Amino acid sequence: MTSVEGSSRSARGLLSSVGASWMRAPYPALVVDALGSVVEINARAADLFPAAVPGTALAEVAPDWLVDGHRRAVRGGSGAVDTVRGRHGPWTLAAHATLGAGGEVVWWLVDETDRSLAEAALRTEQERTAFLADASSRLLASLNVERCMELAVELATAYLADAAVLVTPAAGKRHPLASCVGGAVVHRSVRLDPATVPGLAEALRGFPPVPSRWIDPAVLPEWAVPDGFAGPVGSVVVTPLPGHGVPAGALILLRRSDHAAFDASEEVFARVFAARAGAALSAARLYREQSGITAALMAELLPPSLRQVHGVEFAGGYRTSTDTERVGGDFYDVHPGAGPGDETLAVLGDVCGKGLEAAVLTGKIRSTLQALLPLADDHQHLLSLLNGALLSSRHTRFATLVLASVRRRSGATRLRLTSAGHPLPLIVRADGTVREAATSGTLIGALPEVRAHTAEVDLGPGETCLLFTDGVTEARGGPLGDAMFGDARLQAALAECAGMPAEAVVERIQMLVAAWIGDNRHDDIAVMAITTPRTTHLAAVDGRTPGRYTA
Amino acid sequence: MTTLPGDAFLLTSALDDDGDARIRITGDLDWDTADELTAAAETFLAADPPPRRLRLDCAGMTLCDSLGLAALLMIHRGAAGTGTRFHLDNRPAALQRLLDITGTAHLFTEP
Repeated sequence: MTSVEGSSRSARGLLSSVGASWMRAPYPALVVDALGSVVEINARAADLFPAAVPGTALAEVAPDWLVDGHRRAVRGGSGAVDTVRGRHGPWTLAAHATLGAGGEVVWWLVDETDRSLAEAALRTEQERTAFLADASSRLLASLNVERCMELAVELATAYLADAAVLVTPAAGKRHPLASCVGGAVVHRSVRLDPATVPGLAEALRGFPPVPSRWIDPAVLPEWAVPDGFAGPVGSVVVTPLPGHGVPAGALILLRRSDHAAFDASEEVFARVFAARAGAALSAARLYREQSGITAALMAELLPPSLRQVHGVEFAGGYRTSTDTERVGGDFYDVHPGAGPGDETLAVLGDVCGKGLEAAVLTGKIRSTLQALLPLADDHQHLLSLLNGALLSSRHTRFATLVLASVRRRSGATRLRLTSAGHPLPLIVRADGTVREAATSGTLIGALPEVRAHTAEVDLGPGETCLLFTDGVTEARGGPLGDAMFGDARLQAALAECAGMPAEAVVERIQMLVAAWIGDNRHDDIAVMAITTPRTTHLAAVDGRTPGRYTA
Repeated sequence: MTTLPGDAFLLTSALDDDGDARIRITGDLDWDTADELTAAAETFLAADPPPRRLRLDCAGMTLCDSLGLAALLMIHRGAAGTGTRFHLDNRPAALQRLLDITGTAHLFTEP
């Protein structure tokens, strides 16, 4: 103790001016002389350095960074050392030096533990946010399922793990997998039992992940560790990829044993990332399904190209709505009679609404009508059966349609026309007069009973019956852009089509309506012309059969 | 929310002195608004006892498309279930034409 008395005296002088309050200061402080011995230490500092009592060497009780800072402060004099920082036990401390006249240094310590933790947390959070923003924009940029899987495992290995395996729900008996290690992505399809990876079966069903500490890396099956993964697996995270409504799959993250295991905050972050990846993957899958359905429906529902059937011309034209759905609510079909003396059934209709629901209803009507063809002799009966097949207690979505049973006789075509709540067919005569067919009936699919009245019409050579949907008459456009094409314009246009072949009639009407609409939005537009050709009648060979006709 | 001209859709519901339910519609009855009308009608039909008549005043109806007609048919079905007469008053020409073509006018015009 005596050896330090000289310096301690001046320090005591210093202390005497602030008195005992110094000892109770809320910040740790200690006085160390030029030789490195502790001269005085206040209560807070004594909490930090329990072994430090006046007289002990600083080097024995304090961390190296403070000892080193003290040495530099003594050697360099005033201004050499301002502040030194370092860790001591669980604390992060900043030590500010004040030089005394006798060469002693007063060290004022500030606990920066919380601040440095907060800074570290903030840095991590900023990195994660940047990563998530980047991940989201890259994941959402693709609607391709495989590409989404690739991106998800690439991003996961870039930031979260040494390797990542993405397992999607089984397609058939195999699960499509994408795995990534060292930036190389591999797609595989594996027959696997989810129960072999703890938590995977649950994750694939969308349940929350089990904590990684519960998963023993040693039990991982071969497929879960990608080829090229160097060294034993140290820790594993299995996290669900939540999708839209249904789980999109699960993500397995692997770290090598020489890397730190996943901590709780990393597991939470892995789930946040998985949520983004799952949403993107799910969107890609929904898009693929949707486009697949649309393509399948398109192939089924696109109107047939029409032609001459048993001496009668049929021509059809269809222009889908400008709205986004590609499959609309209008349809037409021609079911040729078995022989020249049999009736051909033509149908043109319109179902309520648009999009998938309308497409499904359209498909149902077309296939039901096909099945009911043998009953086409009686339109009323056929419509009653069709109505019964379409009735639903859940909704009143309905269809309107026109049935035309067509049979060529010598010199003319006999039509039986029935409207089921549909705009009336127009008949254009050889002299250009246009009349509505005298049929009427109830729409189909919404009411328990339907009634219908069938009109019979004979078409001479060059005469046409036009079936159309309200997309024609309700097409908005014209000089001011908001007038309906309307019945009068359609009838006037049709009057000029007397004597034209069916195909020309359809083209002319479509062209006029298209010109009327211009760039305006429009509904589905379907037209069908049934025309008796202006023919050269090739005389029947035996005088009894109907003979053949040429256009 | 900005309301564009022609976009205004309004339903006004009331019970009149005779105990008849009345709904007045203003605007287009279409995909966007059909559900709203159906819901308004269902509210009346769910009452105990249900009203003897449900009258829809169509004077302010600017358009009725196929989904609008589907909604009217749905209301008619519901009204038939509760023994309520569903009637369309002040039918604009376009609506009358739609009802005539589709063979449904008789459902909504019985006195």
